[in-house]
Amino acid sequence: MKRRDFIRGATAVALPLSLSGYSARAMGLSPMLESLAELTAQADRYLVLIQLAGGNDGINTVIPLDQMSTYNSLRSNIALPENKVLKLTNATGLHPSMVGMKSLYDAGNLAVVQGVTYPTSNFSHFRSTDVWMSGSDYNEYLSTGWAGRYLDNQFPNYPGSYPNASMPDPLAIQISSTPALVLKGSVPMGINLQDPEAFNRLVSGTSVNGFTTTPDTAAGKQITYIRQVQAQSEVYAKVIQKANASAKNLATYTAAGVNPLADQLAIVARLIAGGLKTRVYMVTLGGFDTHNQQVNATDHTIGTHAVLLARLSEAMTSFQQDLKLMKMDDKVLGMTFSEFGRRVGSNGSSGTDHGSAAPVFVFGKAVKGGIIGANPSLTNLDNGNLKMQYDFRQIYASILKQWFGTSSSEYSAVLSKDFTQLPLIQGSTSVAEEQQTFATNGIRVQNYPNPVSTSTTFEYTLPYTSRVRLIVVDAQGHAVTTMDEQQAAGSYSINFNTASLASGAYTYRLETERGWASGKMIVAR
Amino acid sequence: MALLDKYPATLTAKTAEHLLRRTMFGATRADITALTGKSIDAALDALLKDQTAPAPPVDPTTGQTWVNDTVQSSNDGQYINYMKAWWLGLMATQPISITEKMTLFWHNHFASARSVVNDTRYLYKQNVLLRKNALGNFKTLAREISIDPAMLRYLNGNRNTKASPQENYARELQELFTIGKGPEISAGNYTTYTEQDVRTAARALTGWTDNATTVTAVFNLNQHDTADKQFSAAYQNTIIKGRNTATAGMDELNDLLDMIFRQNATSEYICRKLYRFFVNFEVTPTIESEVIVPLGKTLRDNNFEIKPVLRQLLGSTHFFDNNIIGAMIKAPLDLIIGMVRQMQITIPNITNQLAFYYSYFDSLRPLATTLQQDVFELPNVAGWSAYYQEPLYYQIWINSATMPPRANLGNTLINGWTLTNRATGATMRVTFDSLVFLQQFPNPEDPNKVIDNLTQNFFAIDLTSEQKDELLTKVLLPNLPAYEWTVEWNDYMKTPNDAQKKALIKAKLDALIKYMMLIAEYQIT
Repeated sequence: MKRRDFIRGATAVALPLSLSGYSARAMGLSPMLESLAELTAQADRYLVLIQLAGGNDGINTVIPLDQMSTYNSLRSNIALPENKVLKLTNATGLHPSMVGMKSLYDAGNLAVVQGVTYPTSNFSHFRSTDVWMSGSDYNEYLSTGWAGRYLDNQFPNYPGSYPNASMPDPLAIQISSTPALVLKGSVPMGINLQDPEAFNRLVSGTSVNGFTTTPDTAAGKQITYIRQVQAQSEVYAKVIQKANASAKNLATYTAAGVNPLADQLAIVARLIAGGLKTRVYMVTLGGFDTHNQQVNATDHTIGTHAVLLARLSEAMTSFQQDLKLMKMDDKVLGMTFSEFGRRVGSNGSSGTDHGSAAPVFVFGKAVKGGIIGANPSLTNLDNGNLKMQYDFRQIYASILKQWFGTSSSEYSAVLSKDFTQLPLIQGSTSVAEEQQTFATNGIRVQNYPNPVSTSTTFEYTLPYTSRVRLIVVDAQGHAVTTMDEQQAAGSYSINFNTASLASGAYTYRLETERGWASGKMIVAR
Repeated sequence: MALLDKYPATLTAKTAEHLLRRTMFGATRADITALTGKSIDAALDALLKDQTAPAPPVDPTTGQTWVNDTVQSSNDGQYINYMKAWWLGLMATQPISITEKMTLFWHNHFASARSVVNDTRYLYKQNVLLRKNALGNFKTLAREISIDPAMLRYLNGNRNTKASPQENYARELQELFTIGKGPEISAGNYTTYTEQDVRTAARALTGWTDNATTVTAVFNLNQHDTADKQFSAAYQNTIIKGRNTATAGMDELNDLLDMIFRQNATSEYICRKLYRFFVNFEVTPTIESEVIVPLGKTLRDNNFEIKPVLRQLLGSTHFFDNNIIGAMIKAPLDLIIGMVRQMQITIPNITNQLAFYYSYFDSLRPLATTLQQDVFELPNVAGWSAYYQEPLYYQIWINSATMPPRANLGNTLINGWTLTNRATGATMRVTFDSLVFLQQFPNPEDPNKVIDNLTQNFFAIDLTSEQKDELLTKVLLPNLPAYEWTVEWNDYMKTPNDAQKKALIKAKLDALIKYMMLIAEYQIT
């Protein structure tokens, strides 16, 4: 069995200790199941990226029903009434307009990943969008996108030797006239279009032959680029048109021209059903920068944000239904992303200012449905903003490994660091399986004294270098504190101050990249 | 020789054209002739001369303007299209002047969108402000735009109250409009300002709102935060004294801008944007130290007057460097309006063909929209991404979705179309007569001269002799000997009313010009 090299030597820099303060479900895959996923990975697996541009208000999208009094006091002018929220669990619900996504969740086709952002989040739309699209650290400036790097790695020497017999289709398609960084590899790896028919019609009228020489100047570089775009458009227009014409949408979408996301996803569904082997699609829904009047003043369940979420929900649901009827639903995985969430407290104009962490939705038949992570705490904040629970690149890592089945070397061409995976795709391990795996990995954690008065010590031995999280959770499931840092192999004793904890039962969990262990303690004074 | 040294040579037709193409929208032959043989100082005197304000847009069906209405008209949705046509008309018909290009620069810099502002009267007022200050004082403009009614709406400055400050404008004022965001050196610290500075600046800006009857800004002291505002070390811990008077809003805005404009980063930031708009996207360390930094000093030394900076930049040896000519990709308006001007298409007369005049520019508007440069509808607060988005910059204008329609434009203009007067139903053809066009150049009977002259007229850079040869033998005269052109031309000149002869030679010339406009070389400037 191939063994994963989780930590790539020099790139394993020490992470600063952060107190992110959330409970987290166990994550990661057992080595055996991971390699099974890898074996079954096939070329005909497609990814659809849905950008929610502007910064989606996560707290009014996935509502923490276990903190409604705090919720109501911090955002009284935009708060959703509890009885209108679509309950996923007793503690967590969806915005009332997300009826379709609720049914996707109930069918096990929707995963909600809570509290996603990156360490030291940036509150600029533009910088944060670049971070998400490039997959960089907050202080790292990459001029390529994560999906672009993946495609560059999978299809070397693009565009020179493409199309070819093994890849006759565009590598990526973005339904837009403005190319996104996410699809940029060494060159732009995608085709942009608004409408497959018009695209082919226009291209056929503008065929250019001849000119190949260029001056060795900045102008020459632009000319080379433009010629490349012309050539790529011409090469792919016909296959795109053919795929589009050969397939029909089988599900009902919102009437054309009303919901731009539905329009885009209807095209994507046709292109997939039409047989394109295009690996990545990118679509965008804008308008999420809701500083102002995101809700109707008298009825908070309607208004700007409700319309946007209804569009997302309806488009995603129609798309999923379409793929099912086309019998393509086991080949397609979708994920949403937005540059940031919004401030926990609303502002005076019934809106919200820029924030940090927010939920990400991953959907598809192959998805392991459910909620990953705990509700964000509305009280344990960073300067008014939610704390990070998961790094967005954990989702990319999970998709690359579990969905696309990338090998270690392929993975490192996309992301320069290892990120702990989340169990997003069916076939990744359940908690019980993981526990067993971790037992075999020999991780144990214990604390003494126990019962605890004002302090206790956690002891554990780490057989390998890993990012390590130690999370203490109260009886209501709220994480009260977290240690999160990179640690070398060795034995550790961590002192933990319990003076501020109320008396009662707590569980604690030690998470590493290869397994986790847990224990119980009682605080009694 | 330093990059900003004054360009020493007299302008030739080629260098005059470069200056005109970059500072206006395409170059007409008359304008090129006017500047040829002039010194750079004389040329800039002409370009930088203050212009009288244009008459406001009108409803072409009535000839009346709506911009001074005290109530928003129910026709506002139509008025915005008239106003777009009005501005495109100004771009196409202006005398030698940088004014419209600079107005567009500021429109991109202080972005706005009708879909947000929702009132054409507001956007007209903003456009007047930008045009009035286009060659004026940056700091004055920054002050006036901060309380411009359209901007108050666009970034919710009109919803910013002491009880719940709304930080949308305060953030973008710093991030995008004045000082610019540096690298995030620690959580919430963007080098040039911090997240706390965003929140503090928002407090200084509380109390403003807009009046929809007068379309003016109004300051409400009772909504203003009168406490002192303490900024971070990035601003030398400046304290803006809280005011409690009727002029508190203006006084604190002035203090805020004084503090921001005291920082060298502010003058350098706007000079970098001017450089990317007029010269080239690539700001190398050399360009930074030899162009941006000295321009920033010029701006400060001249108390933020823009003209001296434009004079220094556009009059520099660097601006005329062989590596700068052709380094930009034409923005859609450069392409569309430039084409109309280059081809000297007869535009309907604004005085006695008002409806057709508006109809003409209204028919160019959707082309600009398709190519992603819709005026009064910026895609977001950072403006058009071609001017800021690394690493593609101008290349963003060109992708497989936009290249085919770009390449089709020449076709559209040469074939012409019919304008309709909505009120009367009368129609008018706008056409391009290539034969008349050609006669303004010497030796139209010589096919090699035809290629030479048209190449010089249409392209920013010279084509190679091989390329010209291809144009002659494959496009103008495929499978025909070169003397065939001379024979046909002389024949046509003898009997210019012979429709058959005319059609024969016109088809050849049209094909040549269409081809010139669809090759990559035509897309650069």
